[in-house]
Amino acid sequence: MDKNSTIIKTIKLVKKYRQGNKTINAVDNVNLEMKRGDLLVVIGPSGSGKSTLMQLIGGLDHPSSGEIEINGVDISKISERKLTELRREKIGFIFQNFNLIPTLTAAQNVEAVIAKRSRDDQRKVLAALKQVGLEQRAHHLPSLLSGGEQQRVAIARALINEPDIILADEPTGNLDSKTGEDIIRILSELNTQHGKTVMIITHSEYVRKFASKVIEIKDGNITS
Amino acid sequence: MFYLRYLWAEITRRWSKTITIALGLGMASAVIIVIISVSQSLSASQDKVLNPLQNVGTDIMVTRSVDTENMAEIDDATRADMLEDNRIGIDLAELGDPGESFSDDSFLSGTMLTFNSDEITKLDTSLVKEAAAGLILNVMHQEGTIPEVTAEFKTGGEVFEVNSEIAPMTDAERAASDAARAKAEADLKAKGIDPRSQEGMEAVRTAMDAAMPERFQRSTTKFVAPERTYTQSVGPISTNISTGNLTVAGVDTTKTDIGLILPDQITSGTWFTGADQVIANKSYSDKNNYTLGGTIKLGGKELTLVGIVEPKLYTNTADLYLPLSDLQTLSERTDRINIMLVKATDAQSVEATSQKLASAFTGAKTTDANDTAKEVTGSLINAANLTNKFIGVTSVIVIAAAFIIVSLLTVLSVNKRIREIGTLKAIGWSNTKIVRQIISENIILGIIGAVLGVGLAVGTIALLNHYDISLTATIAGASEDTPFGFARRMFADETNADTGTTTTVQLTVVHSYLVILLGSLVAIFGSLFAGTIAALKASKMKPLEAFRSLE
Repeated sequence: MDKNSTIIKTIKLVKKYRQGNKTINAVDNVNLEMKRGDLLVVIGPSGSGKSTLMQLIGGLDHPSSGEIEINGVDISKISERKLTELRREKIGFIFQNFNLIPTLTAAQNVEAVIAKRSRDDQRKVLAALKQVGLEQRAHHLPSLLSGGEQQRVAIARALINEPDIILADEPTGNLDSKTGEDIIRILSELNTQHGKTVMIITHSEYVRKFASKVIEIKDGNITS
Repeated sequence: MFYLRYLWAEITRRWSKTITIALGLGMASAVIIVIISVSQSLSASQDKVLNPLQNVGTDIMVTRSVDTENMAEIDDATRADMLEDNRIGIDLAELGDPGESFSDDSFLSGTMLTFNSDEITKLDTSLVKEAAAGLILNVMHQEGTIPEVTAEFKTGGEVFEVNSEIAPMTDAERAASDAARAKAEADLKAKGIDPRSQEGMEAVRTAMDAAMPERFQRSTTKFVAPERTYTQSVGPISTNISTGNLTVAGVDTTKTDIGLILPDQITSGTWFTGADQVIANKSYSDKNNYTLGGTIKLGGKELTLVGIVEPKLYTNTADLYLPLSDLQTLSERTDRINIMLVKATDAQSVEATSQKLASAFTGAKTTDANDTAKEVTGSLINAANLTNKFIGVTSVIVIAAAFIIVSLLTVLSVNKRIREIGTLKAIGWSNTKIVRQIISENIILGIIGAVLGVGLAVGTIALLNHYDISLTATIAGASEDTPFGFARRMFADETNADTGTTTTVQLTVVHSYLVILLGSLVAIFGSLFAGTIAALKASKMKPLEAFRSLE
């Protein structure tokens, strides 16, 4: 696919939700476009709607109005089943709390995405862990891993299906700055070396220097 | 396969949750298994006691019992039979000379009137598979010393008054007396004795008495005393006669699988092997310290004790058992019986057969399992009744409680995994996969619960059996509504004390595979039910939950 083709596009995207008697526009008329291979950093204060925007793009929630196109397909109108498939095949999520399954080992957490076990898959799992430098820790439970290690397992899990898009919500929020920088570097490498389209929500200034584009969101609007 | 490893990891790595839920399920399962097993075992014991007839190969007993409650309504013929069957005539004079000791047995049939043994041949063969005759009699035993009846009379001491008139003295006689007096005084004076002295006065009186006429000196009267009859009532005779009471039964020895007692109920000694033999009820034998081979005197005959029996027909027990013909001879009731034990051809229609047999002869009464059951009381019946109530209400409560607890625990555990489920959705797990995973986990928990439950139940049952729980069932004995109650009180001065048979039943709880399967299914379905609720809840969660911050 063309390196400069549009991979993510939102048109007049609105997400409203009710809070008591008031209706709040968490995402308010947002038009955003990302090219394949972009590394977009989204900044903004708490409650500004940046996470909601990412969830809409990741197909985790339906917009109130507007369109979201992923690879030219409007995902706001597709079925839950298609959305599930989209999340599995096209998008890799990275969460602030890592969200590893506590009863599964590092390798099993990665394997959970493909949930099959052929020799090939086994190799893919180990390759993904190797990519984040954790092949030695493959059979450890999350509780035995450090925060940084856990987030690297989460990255390996996001990569296992070789998605086009990586969505990371505050990936360094629970990490010390040194570890956080390591994680950002890994994400940056995914972007530069593997051509992944990466969207990072963060407070970290350090991330800005890897960004191809930075947007700031306030009250559901892109302000810059 | 990944799903199985995930399942295994959830079960083994969240072990406290696994144990809690599995124990909850196991307890429910165990309670169900134990309650049902205890109830079934109680019912089995109860059936055995409530239908004592089946212990002696019998479905129906046919008797000619008189209802003591309605004595006034008995017809004259029956009344005459009853008097004939219960006649006691003891003529002490016939038993020996005064001072000799005696022993006498009177055989009474009580309210169980006798009838001719021919009646057994008249039973409808299409209804009756097998029948045995029996004669159950009450023996009034008297022994003591023949009293000597004497009466003592003391005579004499009577006063007879004789009254006759004597003519007064004539003048000549008076003159003679005076002359005798004057002569005596003159003689005294001549001898120098004063006639007024003591000696003188006596001499004068003697002289005067001698001069008295003959008629003043002697009187003879002849009379005849009147004849009299003395009537003296003799007070109560003081004797040492003591009265005892026992029940004796004549057993149809031609039958070995139906009868008042059966050969296989002999606990020591043997069954009848010859003439003049007796078998004793164990409780009666123990009370009287009988020894096997010893003799027991009955109706003036010495019988050899050959066996001890623990009768299983609790409603018509006797103290001593003799061959039927022996008892008929002893009691002078040749060819008479008063009970027929009947095995029905069709076990399914005992009640109908019972009604048909009741019309066999005048006054025939039938008793079947339904009737005997009514006479039984005791802890066994209470326990069984309690359990029957218990099993209905409590089982439902226990199952409901277990379902609720397990469902809550399961839903709670799914709530705790809310972020995990959100994450699975975010990384592309379909609802089907998530539901399948949660339900699978619960099936495994259910199986673990079932295994724990079966173990707990089997352990509890073993413990129950280890503690030898005994239950009793009391069958009304010599109380009013049994054949000899009135006879015993009337003739033997017995009080209305309950001498009924108390049967102790050892509660042996047996668990059937069906009950174990049922208990296991309760655990598995309980968990499946809870898992389904939890899975449906999980399927409604949004993948957004993955973004919730740590609780």
